[in-house]
Amino acid sequence: MKQKNKMKYFCISVVSVCTVILIWFLCINVFHMKSETVFPGPVKVFNTFLDKLHTKAPDGATLQAHLWSSIKVALLGYALGALVGVPLGIAMAWNKWVDRFVRPLFDLVRPIPGLAWIPMFILLFGIGITSKALVIFLGALIACIVNSYTGIRQTKETHLWVGDVFGASDSQKLFKIAIPTALPMIFTGLRVALGTSWTALVAAELLASTKGLGYMIQQARAISRPDIIIVGMLAIGAVGAIFDALLHLVEIHVAKGMNAK
Amino acid sequence: MTNGKKLSEKSIGAVCAVVSIGAFIILWYWGTQATQLGLLIPGPFDVLKAVGTGIVGKVGRHSILAHAGYSLLRVMIGFIIGSLVGVVLGLLMGWYRIAEAIFNPLFRIIRPIPPIAWIPISIIWFGLGEDAKIFLIFLASFSNTTLNSMAGARSVDPEIVNAARMLGASERKIFTTIVLPASVPNIFAGLQVAISSSWATVLAAEMVRSSEGLGWMIVAGMNNNDMIQILSGIVMIGVVGYILAIIMRRAEDVLCRWNKSGK
Amino acid sequence: MPMEQERKINHNNIVECKNVSKTFITPEGEHPVVQNLDLEARENEFLVLFGPGQCGKTTIINMIAGFEKATAGSMKFMGKEITKPDSSRGVVFQSTALFPWMTTMGNVEYGLKMAGVPKAERQKRAQKYIDLVGLSGFEKSFPVQLSGGMRQRVGIARAYCNEPKLMLMDEPFGALDAQTRYLMQEELQRIWEAEKRTVIFVTNNIEEALYLADRILVLTNCPATVKKEYKIDLPRPRNLVSPEFLALRKEITSILDSTL
Repeated sequence: MKQKNKMKYFCISVVSVCTVILIWFLCINVFHMKSETVFPGPVKVFNTFLDKLHTKAPDGATLQAHLWSSIKVALLGYALGALVGVPLGIAMAWNKWVDRFVRPLFDLVRPIPGLAWIPMFILLFGIGITSKALVIFLGALIACIVNSYTGIRQTKETHLWVGDVFGASDSQKLFKIAIPTALPMIFTGLRVALGTSWTALVAAELLASTKGLGYMIQQARAISRPDIIIVGMLAIGAVGAIFDALLHLVEIHVAKGMNAK
Repeated sequence: MTNGKKLSEKSIGAVCAVVSIGAFIILWYWGTQATQLGLLIPGPFDVLKAVGTGIVGKVGRHSILAHAGYSLLRVMIGFIIGSLVGVVLGLLMGWYRIAEAIFNPLFRIIRPIPPIAWIPISIIWFGLGEDAKIFLIFLASFSNTTLNSMAGARSVDPEIVNAARMLGASERKIFTTIVLPASVPNIFAGLQVAISSSWATVLAAEMVRSSEGLGWMIVAGMNNNDMIQILSGIVMIGVVGYILAIIMRRAEDVLCRWNKSGK
Repeated sequence: MPMEQERKINHNNIVECKNVSKTFITPEGEHPVVQNLDLEARENEFLVLFGPGQCGKTTIINMIAGFEKATAGSMKFMGKEITKPDSSRGVVFQSTALFPWMTTMGNVEYGLKMAGVPKAERQKRAQKYIDLVGLSGFEKSFPVQLSGGMRQRVGIARAYCNEPKLMLMDEPFGALDAQTRYLMQEELQRIWEAEKRTVIFVTNNIEEALYLADRILVLTNCPATVKKEYKIDLPRPRNLVSPEFLALRKEITSILDSTL
């Protein structure tokens, strides 16, 4: 009964996606409601996708080359942001003095979206990898700090008292009680940060870059090639979704390990 | 006793905040005065002065406040439309299996594409005017509110729904009088993400193509090699971002007081 | 007049369950929770379902309320098959299931609002039940601002305000501390005397059962079925330490021991 229902809804989903693609096809390729230079049809987008896998025109690199360039920068900035952000967030939540001195500065920077720093970084460091990585670093850093901080703060006082009763040292309480409690939140932070990093990267590449997916779609706009833009957008979305899924897998794995202990 | 202790705790915090921010500003000032850094970055007081003159005078064709106003207006229009659509669609998807089956696969294709990545195509579709920017902000607020509203509708306590049924509520009334209010805390979580995402998006859109707004201001600063203009723009961006976050939090406190007053 | 009389006799049984079974299908296999249950509740009767453990009793209430469907057997309410929840059968939940975003008044008047009663009228009627359960002055409080006992009073007022023919109470005092529980039992006794209704009340507390019931059905644990029936005609309000009370208590407890 339940199985049957599941099947039914799955079929509805498939039909729904197919219908949208069909409508897209009909509007553009059959009824020509919009010119393909403004709104390309699904066939053209697919052809462009295949084409872009081996042609370097018009923006100087294949889709894979842009993709790889973007991923490299995003992961670099992200890794730096996570490496600094998670420990800093934990330290702020655990140590009163770190909290008192670092938090005010952090609160000052937090309301500024990461990509607002792009113009300044470009003036300081040029349009190379440094500015892009720095923007991503900032975005990832903030997400990691906020979530690690909240996670550690969720530690129950009674759990810490249990630690006291058994004579746990401060660092034992941190590593055996507070961090395990915070782990789900830390992972949330890592996932949010990855999303932010990817967005920040696209923004940086749109504004000033010579390669990467953001550069590719910006170039395609300049020469009015919406088919390339859509291919680029779908690639950006796909990479974002894959990143998120991978991190989710790691999260489940780690969380399971924690429970087993 | 406890009162006095709390007070001193608070004042220690305030002193530390002043010391740390003060140290940062002094370091910044000293760095720009005494080292080569001064050639690259203006000092803190130059930036503050630029914000002041920008408010009274003009940066480009408008004052800083007018630039902030342009950006805010764009955010407001896109945010209101986007979050309304997002709340309705999200609640429908979270509550009715059929709505989820139809819309969720489409939503899941669109959602991973950051709103910023829509900038080039929206310029081709809508041109360089306001429509493109409002469309982008619509996207930014829409996807976040949809996601959270859906989670809200899914997590409605089934016992509460049963209670409404036994009191004679029709299926439609259950949606409007139970599912909707029960999801309000989740909806607000979504709106908070949505507003900050919208704020970032409007800046990006203005940076790519615009002739006014705070995003234009910092990118024009970049093009003119004018670091003071960039930094004063960033200060203003931070101030507005902060005010938006505060407004959302206040609104949540009022609308969700039934959810919090016990804690 | 004779017609009226006849109707009353015909429908003397407000609830009639015949041979009702309920089986949950889980990944681990079939899980029978109610088996061959026969049960009827008469007009204005306080019927207590008393049994050990977690299993079955809530499901019986849920089936009579119409939240869940029986796997087999027939369940009738006033001569009609039960198919879905209805405002003529009020439910008081153990978890209270109050609407947390509504005030006391909002919760109590909700049923009348759904029935389309105009605002002034429904507030007047809701006020009557708020007063009846002793919550005057707390009309504007949200559930989070009330104590556990007060929340359950709201739950009772909310169910009563719809003036249902039948009240279903699923361990309504199960989550309360002992002191509040005694108090609430007395209150419920008083409310029931003031507003006579058919009540089906589930509990695993023998004193509570004996204090409130006209009739007790002792249920077995998992799958639930009727083990034995007791008619309690001690005078109300009952004395918890009278010899008759204690004798009955001893007898039912011994039956329970053999059930386990």
